[in-house]
Amino acid sequence: MDKENEFEKRVSRRKFFNIAGWTGLFAFFGSSGAAGARFFYPKVLYEPASTFNAGRPDEYTAPAGNEQAVVDERWKKSQRVWMVRTKEGIYAMVAICTHLGCTPNWFPTEVRFKCPCHGSNYNTDGEVVAGPAPEPLFRAKIDLAPDGSMIVTTGLLGIRRANLQTQKKTLGVFWTEEEKGVIWKPPYFLQLKA
Amino acid sequence: MSTNLNNNNEVSFVPPFFKKIFEYIKSTPVWKSIFRVGYPDTMPKRMAVMRSSFYMHIFPTKVGVHGMKIKYGWCMGGITFFLFLLLTITGILLMFYYVPEEHRAYNDMKDLRYVVPFGMILRNMHRWGAHGMVFTVILHMIRVFYTGSYKPPRQFNWTVGVLLLLITLMLSFTGYLLPWDQLGFWAVTVGTNMASATPLLGYEGPFSKYLGIQIDNDIRFALIGGTRIGPNALVRAYVWHCVGLPLIATALMIFHFWRIRKDGFSGPM
Repeated sequence: MDKENEFEKRVSRRKFFNIAGWTGLFAFFGSSGAAGARFFYPKVLYEPASTFNAGRPDEYTAPAGNEQAVVDERWKKSQRVWMVRTKEGIYAMVAICTHLGCTPNWFPTEVRFKCPCHGSNYNTDGEVVAGPAPEPLFRAKIDLAPDGSMIVTTGLLGIRRANLQTQKKTLGVFWTEEEKGVIWKPPYFLQLKA
Repeated sequence: MSTNLNNNNEVSFVPPFFKKIFEYIKSTPVWKSIFRVGYPDTMPKRMAVMRSSFYMHIFPTKVGVHGMKIKYGWCMGGITFFLFLLLTITGILLMFYYVPEEHRAYNDMKDLRYVVPFGMILRNMHRWGAHGMVFTVILHMIRVFYTGSYKPPRQFNWTVGVLLLLITLMLSFTGYLLPWDQLGFWAVTVGTNMASATPLLGYEGPFSKYLGIQIDNDIRFALIGGTRIGPNALVRAYVWHCVGLPLIATALMIFHFWRIRKDGFSGPM
């Protein structure tokens, strides 16, 4: 038997076309499947802007007497944000329950945020005091515009939250000391005179 | 009273003139092309009817008496299929008036209830039929479990049935958002947020950070076409509800029924 025949025996025409055919078929369906999956991830979103102008800090009433904080709800419906004015300053809290994304309600007499869906309760710091929520309410960034008004950024919640989480040792319903170092400083907290 | 005796000496009240016309019609190629077997008065003919008819061939050519007992099968699979047909018909009719657009969806649903002729009963048939289908499909599953009808050779049909149950629940879930009311909106917010806890594929799920999964590239993002429930989510729910899922369900049902026919009806305990 010469060399050519031996090669023919190892890689026969039938075997070659068999492998080539199946490879081609799987390549076609595989790439079609991948393209089909990619199709469901839009490149451009037409969602509402993730920043808004919340006005000047002096438009928000400061707490008086024994009050710890005043929760302002003027942006809740349009931006899903509460502006919370404490004696030391102001911060923006995102009105999205960290459990499964419903909108909690503010109850001033009980000094609590309560979620209507599954009953999570938060205090004015956003810490979970009852219910199934796994972590505190998110903070939105506050930047000061040249005219002194506050530019609040709520966008890319998940990404910002993940950034916060990298500093967390464990997932908790209260802010850790490390996190307190983040949320009580700019850009998450705006220091004001009382 | 004049009567006619036919070949089998049975009494016939049909006048010979009409009988001749009938016989002529039955001998035409058109009639024979539609009704191939003739009157099924023998067992082979009866089986031939089932075999050669498009509609009848869903059923086995022969079914044991026990398989026909209401007490045994509850007819739950049949009722589920009937509800699926009802939902398809009423759903197609609802599509003539309903537009899955942010500013129209809720008002179109209200119009269907108060303005469109017979819209109220159509929408209610669709809604209650959907609730009913979830109910009957679960009862069907319970029945199959308790009669042991999932056992060999029917294991694979049980698996197909589980897929059909999941498709039914997904149809129910996608239909929930379409009225674009508070109930559906927050239900779907909660439901799709659960998807974000999927291992590897959801941005809040375990191990996903190793794949670089974030809110704008996880499985929830693909489901609702964005980072929040909005117009994209409404259109996606609509297309899956009206086209994608019913097509998958139909394909699986064809297979499900074919397997029943091939495996035969399960016997009583």
